This record gives sequence, structure tokens and C-alpha cells, in this order.
Amino acid sequence: MSDSTPHGSHVPAEGPAVGQDEWVARHAEQRFMPGGPLGALEDRIRRVPWWAWLILFLAAASTLPVFEHSGYVRYVAFSTVLYMLLALGLNVVVGWGGLLDLGYVAFYGIGAYAYAMLDSDKFGIHLPTIVSVPLVVAIGAIGGFLLGLPSRRLTGDYLAIVTLFFLQLFQTITTNGDAAFGHNLTGGPNGILNVDPFHLGKHDLVVQHEGIFAVSYFYVALAVFAVVFVALRFVNQSRTGRAWRSQREDPLAAEAMGMPVNWLKLLSFSFGAAVAALTGTLFAAQSASVFPLTFYFVLLIIVYTMVILGGSGSQAGVVAGAVIVSPLLELLRDPGKSRVIFFLALVGGLLLMSRRSRALGIVAIVTLAFGFAVHEILGAIDKSWIAGEHQGGFAGVTDHWVVAPAHMARWIAPTSYIGLIAAVLLVTMVRGRLRLALLVPTVYLTAFVWENVMLAKPEPARYIVLGVILIALMILRPNGLLGERRVEIV
Amino acid sequence: MKKAIGLALAVLATSVVAASAQGSNRIAAVSAAGVNCKSTITLPLVTPVTGGAGFLGAEQGSWSKYAVKTLAKPLGLKVKFVLGDTPVEQGPAPAQALAQKYVADKSVLVVLGPSTSGAVAASSSTYYAAKIAHISPSATRTSLTQGSSKEATPAFFRVVPGDYIQGPSDANFMIKTLKVKKVVLLDFQEPYSTGLSDSVEGVLKKAGVSTTRLSAPNTTTDYSAYVTKVPSDADIVFFPTQKPGDAQTFAQQLVEQGKKAKVFGGDGSNDPSAFKAGGSYVSNFAPDITGIKADAAIVAGWKKENPGKAVGSFGPPSYGATQVALNAIALACKAGHGTTTRQAVLSSIKKVKIKNWILGGDLRWSTKSNDPLNAKFYIFQIQSNGAYKLVG
Amino acid sequence: MDTFLQLTVDALTLGSVYALIALGYTLVYGVLKLLNFAHGDVFMVGSFIGFGVLQLLGGTSKPVVPVWLLLVLMVLAAMVGCAVLGVVIERFAYRPLRDAPRIAPLISALGVSFFLANSMQLLFGATPRNYNIFDLANASLYTKGFNVGNVHVALLRIITVVAAFVLMVLLWFLVNRTRTGKAMRATSYDREAAAMMGIDIDKVIVFTFVLGSALAGAGGVLQSLRVPTTVAIGFVVGLKGFTAAVIGGIGSIPGAMAGGLILGFAESFSQGYISTKWSDLIVFSILIAFMIFRPQGLLGRADIRKV
Repeated sequence: MSDSTPHGSHVPAEGPAVGQDEWVARHAEQRFMPGGPLGALEDRIRRVPWWAWLILFLAAASTLPVFEHSGYVRYVAFSTVLYMLLALGLNVVVGWGGLLDLGYVAFYGIGAYAYAMLDSDKFGIHLPTIVSVPLVVAIGAIGGFLLGLPSRRLTGDYLAIVTLFFLQLFQTITTNGDAAFGHNLTGGPNGILNVDPFHLGKHDLVVQHEGIFAVSYFYVALAVFAVVFVALRFVNQSRTGRAWRSQREDPLAAEAMGMPVNWLKLLSFSFGAAVAALTGTLFAAQSASVFPLTFYFVLLIIVYTMVILGGSGSQAGVVAGAVIVSPLLELLRDPGKSRVIFFLALVGGLLLMSRRSRALGIVAIVTLAFGFAVHEILGAIDKSWIAGEHQGGFAGVTDHWVVAPAHMARWIAPTSYIGLIAAVLLVTMVRGRLRLALLVPTVYLTAFVWENVMLAKPEPARYIVLGVILIALMILRPNGLLGERRVEIV
Repeated sequence: MKKAIGLALAVLATSVVAASAQGSNRIAAVSAAGVNCKSTITLPLVTPVTGGAGFLGAEQGSWSKYAVKTLAKPLGLKVKFVLGDTPVEQGPAPAQALAQKYVADKSVLVVLGPSTSGAVAASSSTYYAAKIAHISPSATRTSLTQGSSKEATPAFFRVVPGDYIQGPSDANFMIKTLKVKKVVLLDFQEPYSTGLSDSVEGVLKKAGVSTTRLSAPNTTTDYSAYVTKVPSDADIVFFPTQKPGDAQTFAQQLVEQGKKAKVFGGDGSNDPSAFKAGGSYVSNFAPDITGIKADAAIVAGWKKENPGKAVGSFGPPSYGATQVALNAIALACKAGHGTTTRQAVLSSIKKVKIKNWILGGDLRWSTKSNDPLNAKFYIFQIQSNGAYKLVG
Repeated sequence: MDTFLQLTVDALTLGSVYALIALGYTLVYGVLKLLNFAHGDVFMVGSFIGFGVLQLLGGTSKPVVPVWLLLVLMVLAAMVGCAVLGVVIERFAYRPLRDAPRIAPLISALGVSFFLANSMQLLFGATPRNYNIFDLANASLYTKGFNVGNVHVALLRIITVVAAFVLMVLLWFLVNRTRTGKAMRATSYDREAAAMMGIDIDKVIVFTFVLGSALAGAGGVLQSLRVPTTVAIGFVVGLKGFTAAVIGGIGSIPGAMAGGLILGFAESFSQGYISTKWSDLIVFSILIAFMIFRPQGLLGRADIRKV
């Protein structure tokens, strides 16, 4: 979190360095200086240097397998680390370079495919891991450079299209590569199976023991993450990093100052692609297979949500984004857990907002009462309207609060869902008392829809959550949880 | 604002942790660990529930659920049925994640599915390492169970015959019954159709039938240009799609351009509600079970549970796979005197013999591979009113 | 020769629908300089509205109104529904971001696209929906029509192409012959100057979204008359629409029409003559070549950046 304050961590205690104005250097601190013992604590926390946070995080993460023996949880933890890596790479392109790269996951795919081709029975090549992984990273970096080459003249939305089509091309080529000029290169839609695990000499880093995900890959991924995090951090603090940021804010001014804007763009593409390709090798080695469709639009949206939610531009932010979104998506698969998350987030959200306005606290209480009332009244009219079954966490509580019809008539789902969208949009349009009053039925309707419509179909429901996060963040807080605010001159 | 963000993070983190703690299994699920047969056993079905092949999951799910509901109790088992989703649009990767999930869940003794061959190939080794038998009601790719480099492991079983029967029987039907001279074959750049078209094309070529091969991206919706490429003297277009609606479109566009060729679909396009163009052919691994007397009670019971739904051809094998799984658990429980292991269930699968099998006759296993014995493919001709008539 | 004619017919039907989608991209881009990623999904919603209306009116086997009225009602309903949807999207997802960095509305648009596709799946499932126009009036829309040599041009294709061109002519009229159209062109040329001249920018933008989305809705129904629709088509349709708009020169209305037709021809002929397997590759390569060598497209004007 340290890098969310621009100066915080590395201002020497004895005063600013030569050539730095003291007031300017301490300006940020002075503005946020909180009072009281709590403030002192907060100040202390802010002074913890970034590497201490990183070590703390790594230490906490590496104890996970000690407490958790379930192969599934370990697997999710491993994929979370992969997502963290992907988010770090995308952050270079989007957060630092300021380029909207919609072909990013293609490089993830290129990395995975390249590793699979270099280490499998496909062509009978079995390169040692220490050779193949750097080779794949180089391939990724060169690939990113080449994609950037034609794209560098194109800005903003044009770049978005070219890169999106690059992703499409990657899909077309991998799915049809089983008959390219009469050779089977990519295995086509069947992908490449039996990819080697990471290996050194004769020793294999096995993926699973009796089907239980081996924890070794989690540690390898964590180590790779630490290296990438530190390396990118240094890049960002170097001349290149500063140049990236300046060309992101105002490419014209940067160019006028003699910065090689095009070269900088290519470089950020290259860095991002290299990180994605590296992550791809981990993925291919762990899953022992690659298929074209893994690297597609849904994955792209997931990684983007992580970067945007955490705050593009901030390394700690995008990692936080991945740590939140990846387990969230996994938990939303399960209706019981999904419900727990929903109600905790609902209650937490209301509590959080009520800190700023007491009226919201009242809204929360009224909503609660409203729910019980509606439930009782409907129950008194017709028992079947509340006879639906709740399963899993919190069922005891929600049983008496949310209406759940025993049989959903066909019109209920679309009507309530579209009604909910309308209600939410309406709430954003009105102000003052009216908004507070509208909030009560809206919150209740949200709970109703979640219980009766969304929980029934976890697959689209979890992606809807992603879409909502993306839109809401862009409007409410485009710099995400920990991101730096951008000042783009238009 | 900073505080608010900190708090928001804390709230999110607590909810995630709290949710994970909910019923999370903290015990390592080791294959050797015994499971009490009186406890609730989780029986997952891995199938596309969402996405373009979502109809498959809906149908298989309803039949498996019905099988669990009616068969578990008489066998003395408490079973919780769950669905695992592998949308075909995302390739086989979701199947791998699900495999990890089920391996970690010690109440899972046996898995139904994966329904699609690609998903089987991707996840079979994980199941095998955990000694979990997985019984597919619909994965038909030949190389899963046969040939020199098998893609699935010995823990994989299927209750329907593979494309090693479907391909040749479709091709032989074309050659012998339809007496074709010229056939156009399509694939959709995904594993299922590519394999099936290859297999049919091979047999046709051997018999001297002239063939043309076309290939459409999986996202294609408009087949006009493909229809144009069908020669006007072609007899059959082999169209092994997994989206039955596309077979319908293709048949209609053939009529539009005045081509005489008929569409011939595989098991993936066997859906009377979507593919009903008269004169077309469909092959499937299951007969129309509504015509089997012994199944009348099952069909009636299922219809009561699923009012207004028609009996398709993917559901009954799914019922059968569930029946095999439950019987295997019961056998293993009996042998283990009230406790059992995944390993024991796995080795009991082939001991299961079912009389009056839902697909007709008795279920018996091949001794050479994990395929059913004597199973065959059935070929239907679609009548002008959309009904499927068994022709071969 | 027959193949050539047949492919031309295919290309015209494909291309006219692509042109309708491309117009939506181009209109919005012209005024807002925003790539509306959600446009393909508006198209998808349109095709579902058409399906809903068809079912309400008795389906293809027993329609309660004459065939022509049925088709007109389906298209109109989809146009109205999509126009409303487009305005709502603009109001809530794009308007708050009008002065934000350019990357922000793009990401918001991605979010909208994802949200729409998955919401539709939540409500209506992933099962493909087939209008089954074939069953309408004993397949007469397929079997009637006229013949050119051995090539049969079905009534359905004539309807599609004619309807698309009528809509395009209407659009041309609205943009070039009405006051609002004039305001739209002025806004697209220079938004700030237009605002200073007293043009209500918000109104113009809403009008643009109404036009673009209505065209997408019509396109959705016209395409689904011939091929089944699913909740997932938005992505691919959107890509095709982009491609057409970019080839023609994004921001240019005649460009979008030309781009749509060119794309239709490229797709149809590459499938017909070169390879069905690699046709996507060919189409996308054309696009990338355009982006690199002529980013302003065929009929667009070069982007002069103001500082």
C-alpha cells in the first residue's frame, strides 16, 4: 500500500535530498497528517516501506498450505497467483503505458503454447525448464514488440481494436493450426496434451499427488511473482518508468520534450507481454495441457476487472484486485457461499456508507423492518410465496427476510431483474430524501433478485458481477482502490 | 476516503474469508480414507450447463437428478446431486478446475461426466490420480478409451459407444442404405466435430465415395457461403454440430438454394425441438426410449418431474450413468461392510450389471476397454412433421 | 459463374446487415469519439425482442397477422426497444464519463457489453433461438423470389437487403436534411465549437444513440430471420461491425455502408473461393492492413489532432 502515497516511504528522516524543496517534499504528508493515537498508528503504517509489505504478504501467503490441505483451495490459491502475475503485466501496459491493450491474454496464450511446444511429446522436444522458460519469455517480449510495431501510430481506441483483432487472430491460428500447410502445429481445438511439468535434469516438479494439487507449484508461482513484482517496481522507478507516466499523461508534451514516445510504447507492450508469457509457462506446466479457448475474452475481462478494481498504475493495487476477484469468482460458483458474500457485502456497504451519513443507518434499519413486513404480509396472503428453500450459509436468517416463491412463474425473473436495473438507475438520478426512501425497496429488491434469480444460475451471475464492478468503478472511482489519479490532458 | 477504502477492503476480505470457512473441507481427501456409507455422498455431473451447449446440461441434469431421486434410497444411499458447469465456449479448462474441486471434496466417491470429450481428456488424469471413477454419458471420442495413445485413464468409463462405432455406422448407412456418390463434410474447428468428420470421411473414401471437406469457425452462424460450396449433385452434407439449431439453418439454406443434398447430423444435433427439417438424418447412441416397454415407468416418472419437456436422447444415458455410479457405490459399500473408498468404488464399476438397461437390453462391459459391450448407434430420419423415425 | 452469382447474393445479404451495425459504430464515434463496445450486444437484444414479438403474435406456424405486418412489427419493436436501451446505456454508463480520460468510457463500454450478454443469459438462458421463418407461409420466403440463371434469389434475402437499404436512405435523409442532423454533423466536426454555437450537445448525443441503436435492433431482426440467434453473438457481431466501420472510415456514414458491403464480399468470397477454414484470418488481416496503412479508412478524413 505504500506506493499509494507519492512520497511517503522514501523521504529520508533527516530531510529532503539536495535539490528538493522541503515543503514540496513533505506537502503530501502534511496534508494527510492525522491526529490522535489512531492517527499516529496510521502514520506508522504508512511509513512501512513497500518491501516490508511485500515480505509480509509473501509470508502470509506461504503459510496458506500449512493450514489448508484441500487440493482445491491450493489450486485456487495457485490460480490467484497466476492472476496476480497477469494483473502486474497488464498494469505495465494499461496503468503505466496508458495503452488499452485488448490482446493481452493472447500473450498469456502464446507463452503457454510456446512452453507446450518446447516441452511435450508434440514435437518430441523436451527442453530443460531453465532453458525453455527464458526462451518463452523472450518470445513473449519479441511478440509484444512486434504487435506494438504497427500499433504504435495508433492511439486510444484504434489500438484497442488492433489488439482485440490480434487476440482474434491468435484464436483463429491456434484452433486451425492443426492443418497449417499440411502440418499439425498447434493441435487445433484439441490443444496440446501431456505437457511436461517443470523439470530440472531428471527431477520433475510433480503437479499432483494422488490427484491432490501439489503445493510446490504454488511456491514456484509465488517466487516468480516476487521476482516480477520487484523487477517491475525498479523499472517503474527508473527513468523509463517516469517517462512512461509522462507520455501517458500527455504524449504530445512528452514528445515535445524529446522523449521517444513510440519507443516507450513498444517497451511497455514488450514488458507486459513478457510477464504474460512467463505466466503462461506456469499455467501450461501446471495444467499439463493447453487449449485455444482458455485464452479468450472472458479471461481478458477478468484480468481487466482486477487491474481496474485495484487501481491501474499501482502495483499493490492490481495485486489486491487479483486477490479479491479471483477467490470471489470461485466462491460465487457456490450458491451458499455466494449468499454469504452478498449479505456481508450488503451489510458492510450500508455500514460503511452510514459512517458518512447517519440517514443511511436509518435506511438500513428501515430496510430490515421492510423486509420482515413484506415477508409476513406475503406469507399471510399465500404461503407458497415464501415457501422456497434456502440452502447453505445464512439460510436461517434470510428465510424470514427475503421472499422466495416455491415456484418461480416465468415472468418473475425477467420482471424483477429489469425492475431492479430500473430502480438502481432511478436511485442514481434522484437526490435527497427521495433517494433515501427509494433506497429501501431497491435494497430489498436486490436481495430478492439475488436469492431467487442470480443464485439459480451462478455462471452468468458471477460475470454480471464483474460487468457491474467495471461500470460502477469507472464512474465512481476510476482510479480503483489504490490507484493513482490520472490527469489526462485532452 | 483512505479510511473508507481501508474499511471496504477489510469488509471484502472478511466476507471472502467467512465464505471460504463456510463448510470448507479442512481434511485432506486422500483416496485411501474410508467414507461411511451412511453419510451423505456428493454425486457431481460435469456438463455444459451454460453456453451454446447448455441444452445438453439441462437435459442430462434433469435425468441424473431423477435417477438419484428414485434409485438412491432403495440402494440404501444418501446422495446429494450437484452440477458442474463446463461451457463449451471456454474449452476444456473449466473441467480441470472442477476436477480439483471434486478431488478435494471427500464426500465425492465417483463423478458423472465430463459430458464432452475434450473435457474428459483434460481432467481424466486428475481423477485417476485420486482414484475417482468418472462415468460419461455422452463423450464419444474414440481415442479416449482405444488406440495406442489413450487420452483418458483407466478411471474413465462411458455408457455409450464411441465414435469408433458412430463414424463407421454413419458412413456405412450412407454407403449401403442411401447409396451416396458425393458427400460434403463439415467440421466446426472444435474437437468433437473434427474427430467425427475425420472418421466418417475415412470410411467413405475407402468405399470410393467422393468427399469434400469444409471447415467453419465455431462462431459461425450464417452458413450461406458453405451452402454455396455444396455441389448440386451432392447427396449428403455431414454436419456433426453440437448446436442443433445450426443444422436446422443449414437444411433450410440448402432448400433455399435448391440443393438436393440432405443434412446428416451426429449425436450432437439430436434435438427434436431444434433440428426438425424434414428429410434430414441424425445418428445417436441411444434409441428413442419411449418405444421401449421396460422404460415406460421411468419415462412417466421423469415426465411428472419435468412437465412439458420432451424426452431427448442425451437424458436416458445420463440416467444410465447415474444408475451405474449408484450401483457401484452400493456394491463397494456392501463389500466394505458399511464403509468404502474411492478405490473400491472404482474397481466395482465393471462389476455392475444392469438388467433391462434403459437403452434397451442389458448393460454389460467390454473386457478390453471401459466401453459398453454390444452397444450400437441408431440412425433416425426426420419426418416432414419433425418426428424422428428410426431407420437404421 | 453460378457460384459467383450465388456468392454475390450471399455477400449482399451479409454486407447489408454489417452495414447497419457499422453505421451505429460510426455515428457514435463521430459524435462522441467513443468505440461503443456494447453495440454488438444491443444488436443481440434486438434479435431477442424480435423473437419475443414473433412468439406473442403466434409464432411462425400460426401467425395472427399477415406476414408482411408481422415482419414490420418485429423490426419496429426491436428498433424502439434498442433505441431505449441505447439511450439508457448512454445516460448511465457513458455520460458521467464524458470528460474522463479516454480509456475510461472504453472500459465502461466493455463492462456494459459483458453485463448485457450475461444478463440476457441469466434471464433467457443460452439456448439458441430460431425464428423458424422457414415455417412461415409454407416456406414461401425461401422458395419464392426470382432466378438469375441457375441461381435462386430467395424472397427473404430480397427483404433483408431492401429493408436495410431503406433504413440507410432514411438515415441519410435524417442526417443530411434535418436540423437535428445538421446539429449532429456540427457536433461530430467540433463538439466544443458546436456547443458554443448553441447546440444542445446532450440532445444530439441522445439522438445519435437512438439512431445507432435502432439500426442495430433492425439489423438484429433482419439477420435472425435467416440464422438462429444466441445471447453470445454480440461479441462476434460487434467485431464484424467494427471492421466494417473501420474499413469504410470510422465517422463516415457512406463509409460505413461501403465498409459493410466490402466486408460482406470479402467474407463470402474468401469462404467461397479460398478457404472456409481461414476466412476469418483473411478478413481480420484486411482490417489490420487497413488500420496500419490507411487508419482513416476508405472514405474517412484523416484525424487532425488539435493541441
